[in-house]
Amino acid sequence: MSSDSERFAEAEDGGPQPEKHCGHGRGGMGEEVKRKEDQRFITGRGNYVDDIKKPGMLHCEIVRSPHAHARIENIDKSRALKVDGVVAVLTAEDLLEHDLATMPTLMDDTQDVLVNDKVKFQSQEVAAVIATDRYTAKDGAQKVVVDYDVLDPVIGADKALEDDAPVIRDDIEGKEDNHCLDWETGDEEATAKAFEEADVTVKEDMLYQRLHPAPIETCGAVGDYDPGKDKLTVHMTSQAPHIHRTLFAQVSGIPEHKIRIVSPDVGGGFGNKVPIYPGYVVAAAASYVLEEPVKWVEERSENIQSTGFARDYDMTGEIAATEDGEIQAVRTDVLADHGAFNAVAQPSKFPAGFFNIFTGSYDIDTAYGTLTAAYTNTAPGGVAYRCSFRVTEAVYLIERMVKVLADELDMDPAEVRRKNFIQPEQFPYESATGWNYDSGDYEKALDKALEMADYDHYREEQQRRIEEDADKLLGIGVSSFTEVVGAGPGQSCDIAGVEMFDSAEIRVHPTGNATVRVGVQTQGQGHETTFAQIVAEELGMDVDDITVEHGDTDTDPYGLGTYGSRSTPVAGAAAAVASRKVREKAKAIAANELEAAEEDIDWDRESGQFHVTGAPDRSISITEIAAGAYMNHPKSEEPGLEAINYYDPPEMTYPFGSYIVVVEVDRETGEVEFEKFVAVDDCGNRINPMIIEGQIHGGLAQGIGTAMLEHVTFDDNGNVTGGDFMNYLLPTSMEIPEFETGHTVTPSPHHPIGAKGVGESPTVGSPPAIVNAVVDAMSHGGISHVEMPMTPDTVWEKLDEAGLSMDPADNVSLEFDDQQSGGTADD
Amino acid sequence: MKPAQFETHEPNTVEEAVSLLESLDDRAILAGGQSMVPMLRFRLAVPETVIDINAIDGLDYLEEDDGWLRIGALARHADVEESDLIDEQYGSFADTAPLVADPQIRNRGTVAGAIAQADPKGDWGSVLLAHEGEIVAQGPDGERVIPAEDFFLLPYDTTLDENELITEIRVPTPAPREGSAYHKLKRKVGDYAMAGSAARLVLDEDGRIETADVGLTAVDITNVRATDAEDHLEGERPGSEVFKRAGELAAEQSNPESDEHGDAGYKERMVNVLTQRALGDAAERAGLVKRRVSQ
Ligand SMILES: Cc1cc2nc3c(=O)[nH]c(=O)nc-3n(C[C@H](O)[C@H](O)[C@H](O)COP(=O)(O)OP(=O)(O)OC[C@H]3O[C@@H](n4cnc5c(N)ncnc54)[C@H](O)[C@@H]3O)c2cc1C
Repeated sequence: MSSDSERFAEAEDGGPQPEKHCGHGRGGMGEEVKRKEDQRFITGRGNYVDDIKKPGMLHCEIVRSPHAHARIENIDKSRALKVDGVVAVLTAEDLLEHDLATMPTLMDDTQDVLVNDKVKFQSQEVAAVIATDRYTAKDGAQKVVVDYDVLDPVIGADKALEDDAPVIRDDIEGKEDNHCLDWETGDEEATAKAFEEADVTVKEDMLYQRLHPAPIETCGAVGDYDPGKDKLTVHMTSQAPHIHRTLFAQVSGIPEHKIRIVSPDVGGGFGNKVPIYPGYVVAAAASYVLEEPVKWVEERSENIQSTGFARDYDMTGEIAATEDGEIQAVRTDVLADHGAFNAVAQPSKFPAGFFNIFTGSYDIDTAYGTLTAAYTNTAPGGVAYRCSFRVTEAVYLIERMVKVLADELDMDPAEVRRKNFIQPEQFPYESATGWNYDSGDYEKALDKALEMADYDHYREEQQRRIEEDADKLLGIGVSSFTEVVGAGPGQSCDIAGVEMFDSAEIRVHPTGNATVRVGVQTQGQGHETTFAQIVAEELGMDVDDITVEHGDTDTDPYGLGTYGSRSTPVAGAAAAVASRKVREKAKAIAANELEAAEEDIDWDRESGQFHVTGAPDRSISITEIAAGAYMNHPKSEEPGLEAINYYDPPEMTYPFGSYIVVVEVDRETGEVEFEKFVAVDDCGNRINPMIIEGQIHGGLAQGIGTAMLEHVTFDDNGNVTGGDFMNYLLPTSMEIPEFETGHTVTPSPHHPIGAKGVGESPTVGSPPAIVNAVVDAMSHGGISHVEMPMTPDTVWEKLDEAGLSMDPADNVSLEFDDQQSGGTADD
Repeated sequence: MKPAQFETHEPNTVEEAVSLLESLDDRAILAGGQSMVPMLRFRLAVPETVIDINAIDGLDYLEEDDGWLRIGALARHADVEESDLIDEQYGSFADTAPLVADPQIRNRGTVAGAIAQADPKGDWGSVLLAHEGEIVAQGPDGERVIPAEDFFLLPYDTTLDENELITEIRVPTPAPREGSAYHKLKRKVGDYAMAGSAARLVLDEDGRIETADVGLTAVDITNVRATDAEDHLEGERPGSEVFKRAGELAAEQSNPESDEHGDAGYKERMVNVLTQRALGDAAERAGLVKRRVSQ
């Protein structure tokens, strides 16, 4: 028997925790319950936006600008309107009539829905063609004639800030340059002083290149205005349906209770589906104007070229340290490319997101960071691609710099980390830039990873290869990252003014099963299973008796959506708290049924039963209690058995881990192969280990894509040259090595079930481990950095620079063997 | 996939296909569709009619016959990949097949279609050049045989007549003491070559190189032969130093362009490395023994 307070007592003191698997066979916490949602996905019965069909539904194709910077002189719709089946062609002029020509970005900038005057990036939305089917819509789009006055494009944040750069945002009054914002954090003077006095300082420039989240399902919407009810329903690929409803109300002037956003099955979001895009607004506006449902679904290249990109931080990192590797200060300066609008997706009081967590897992009391962001003629973005708002860039910076420091000092990078870790007893820990870390045991995770990776063996093997001048070098990379996830608290974190709380509502039905509705929205994370497990654990129900719903603003409680690994930290907490509220009421009903006093009723987590104190056989299950709640409710209580909780987290949670990557670098070609990939994660108490494992695998794959393959590139004319899957290379299972995963458990002391978010740790933590490994293979040649993506040519240039490149003739000699000389070919 | 509107025809014989080609104006041939469908999808191709040749019987063969390895126009990349004959006798083909595109594309795409597409980044063109292969085409006036060397004109442009259908790709069966290989550098499965090199060597009784053919991928406006390297190799005794010089000559003769896939200097360097590697494997398959200096 265990109670709440026993079970989470350890969590409350924040000390190191034993691992718990205590689902009690009902599918609660710690059980590897098979994902409930997979039945429909595996059998092809998912229901995505593009699966939605409505009677009379029309289709929308967007005409996009081929130029990055151009003034629109004229748009001729006439030929398009003559195409059989084309119903309407919309331009900014038409939208102006309905006051729908612009929309706010999440950072309160103003973006044209359809370009009114000046195109600011290639593929920007210029006109929309509505037709009876999607082929005809495309035929029509090809017939819209747009005259452009082409202007000089501004590509690259550095170029954008040059004095004579053309001004992109002349729509902002008085704007005479491309400067977007400045930001700083930490203590400039103290940091400068620490650097002056330090034994050792190191500095490195590194670009976190522009990426695209590239979810497998592109963005899309079905706008469906019902003139009878005067109600607008928008089915859309949304990670945050409620906030999108609020924004739609603000843009359109339609009252919020007359708007319903439905986010059906969503095929991956990764931050790409947090912002509002013109396509959504056009589909809704067209439906409103034409009074028919209108569907818009992006093509792949439209998704990559026009929707929210991620990263694009050009960073300088510096560390000041003692001779024996104790870090005294860290400093950074960032040049950020925000694209044509300030449309980063992060809490509004954090213009650089959570980048100021760049002191990482280390006890560094002096830090200073600055950032300048610029507008360029590229698609707007800066979305949190599978991470919490720029924590990825921060982790990359510090984890790369620690390796640079280790090389400078000729120390083992694992040792430098160990020396500087925040110690378990220091938690809760306040960092130099004001973060409040909840709990951690970094050394434990690192030790486990080192052991799993057989670190010493690979260090020896690495040395052997160097000594023998082998054609393949070995590199070992370490990353001991700390994430910060689960925004709010509402006081410091808001999206467009709305506090970042989240919600769960539980309705237990008369026959003993339950419906749970949450304010977050799954895009593949497994919420329908995870949240059911939390409720199963907290109510003693069977997980199969619980259905989780989400994604419909008409029925679900308001929430801020799923990104920044906030679902379990915030909505998961709400689910636990709501369950406990139900449990409290259940006690009253149990007392009534068992004819005992309410204060004499205990709940037993193990059996899931309510019983009279000291008399375990006088017990009653939640199923019986549910019946009682509707059929024999105690007069002291309202009938029914429901609860709702809006959870404003007191703090964020800080999952962490250590990743170790071993690579082989081919000295002839610069190709990199993975030898070993170990990931040890700590996300506090674990709800469904199988889902966690799946999340880790997926995120590591994306980390590999980041480090090795992906880059949204542009030419000098502003053409996107990495804007489709032939040029924007995503990893497949063929590029992914075998992952060895492990875990430690350090519960969050403030989370109701001691859990932390986990979905994003691997994307955040793995790129520096991979880059560190490749650098490590060449560090004996003096190489301190390799830019991502580490394509063979990038790596080969470094090999060559270090005098480590090799010719095949140095490696193989061919001899003629007499015996085989007369043999057949192709032996 | 939102192509412009088109009609389809599905001929059952080569003759039917050729007469459709002759009688219809604005038409395109569809084999495995792995290049054609993307072109339709991007509306780079907007034919009125698509002639789908998949219903033609008897074009999916892969066999040795009369001194030739014959690959019918409907043999898929996967057929080559899975063939024991290829595995045992044709090193360069066995190397190439699993490196083309990805498994899904290889299940549908044909070797003949890839040759017809004439993408300078395509792999089969180099292999065909290194084997002094031929393209067999059927037109209104009957059959025509085009040596691979005379086939490729420009990117996506060949000497095939617009009324001709490729029926077969063929290369001579290997001589005694022949070996061949293909090496390709790519960044991921499904990626075209950054550079590629196909090599074939035939040794004489003394173990000297009698014939050397080298074909290069993705480093010129078409797949090309590295003739300077070939000239240097012929008459020489195979060995790392000779191959090294051949690699250098191949690199010098190549004309790669800088792009997102790497700069020109690197690609030239890789032509050198890949050519040396391909020659090394070809020599080994011709009966030599490879010995590593280090490791
Ligand atoms: C993602 C991707 C990756 C790829 N990677 C590679 C790679 O790594 N290496 C490589 O070599 N190739 C690669 N390809 C190209 C692939 O090999 C070709 O698309 C394919 O093999 C072409 O054959 P098909 O049968 O599909 O031809 P189709 O697409 O049907 O036709 C291609 C062209 O050939 C013409 N054609 C086809 N058959 C005949 C015929 N019998 N007679 C006359 N004309 C004909 C068609 O009219 C069309 O113009 C890739 C393609 C894709 C989509």
